[in-house]
Amino acid sequence: MTLIPRLETDRLILRAPSEGDLDAEAAFFASDASRFVGGPMRRDETWRAIAMMLGHWMIRGYGFWGVEEKTTGAYVGHVGLWCPEAWPEPEIGWTLMTGFTGKGYATEAALAARTHAYDVLGWDTAVSLIAPDNAGSRKVAERLGAAHETDYGHPAYGTLQVWRHLGPADIENGGMEAYA
Amino acid sequence: MTSVTLPIPVIEANRLILRAPLETDFEAHANFMASPRSGFVGGPCDRWQAWKGFASGLGHWVLKGFGVWTIADKETGSPLGKAGFINAPGWDEPELGWHVYEAAEGKGIAFEAVTAARAYGAQHFGLDGVISYIDPANSRSMTLAERLGARFERNGELLDKPCQVWRHPKIGGDS
Repeated sequence: MTLIPRLETDRLILRAPSEGDLDAEAAFFASDASRFVGGPMRRDETWRAIAMMLGHWMIRGYGFWGVEEKTTGAYVGHVGLWCPEAWPEPEIGWTLMTGFTGKGYATEAALAARTHAYDVLGWDTAVSLIAPDNAGSRKVAERLGAAHETDYGHPAYGTLQVWRHLGPADIENGGMEAYA
Repeated sequence: MTSVTLPIPVIEANRLILRAPLETDFEAHANFMASPRSGFVGGPCDRWQAWKGFASGLGHWVLKGFGVWTIADKETGSPLGKAGFINAPGWDEPELGWHVYEAAEGKGIAFEAVTAARAYGAQHFGLDGVISYIDPANSRSMTLAERLGARFERNGELLDKPCQVWRHPKIGGDS
């Protein structure tokens, strides 16, 4: 039995992906804004992508959360921990719907995901894969303290930048040591 | 906490069990999807595409409450193919689908597995008198559909590809 934990940050709730996210995700994946994360794709493909997120939890024991704005319940996007086939190593990923960028939500949710990876799952490192032209995501990675380490050739997505996150020992507060 | 795993039921047939797809089934799935044999079920494709299909097949159970099982050899546990129910966007209604790997071909394994899956669906999922989509060139699947008592209903389309729609007989929910 796989359980998807519910996480809370100041402004966000991270919970299991659901079929109710399909309208928002399908609108996003129909748009050009999805070009950095495997889009554009059709609605039926987006449904399968949500199913894949759930299957990823069942196979790996971690995955993407659906993220909601605490005050409005609005669907913000999906953020989480991701390592499907063809990934070089487990990553922290974030995809925000149009209209929810520029508020620091990706950073806030990614920090919660990173804390979960280090403190609950016991990861000792994490990367993020970022398309070279995705300036918005690069900024999030920088804000998180990650650094561009190398590039990776994905069979479908082409060249992706590999950004290395701060490890548990690099983090003064909220890392493993804070709980020791 | 949200539970994402339905306990995927296990069905016991004569020589086979139908069980939840396990990560250890992926190699056999990827090999099948890389082979020309997968041409009737969306392949051939690379490991990345195969993994997407494998994981989304698991997620289908969470989203719909039913899905596709791994057909496994009862004695060895090794995967022989897949059978079960699909109703994703693009599908007209729930479909009973199947494929078996090369080593399992010609032994009546698909017949045994699909018969068991179909009975379980009628009994537990309220899926009775369902359809199967069959590629117009897939004569083996048509032969099996006929053996199962299904009949050609109409020419249809699945995800922009022409497909025959075959209708299974109602077998009753309490058989």
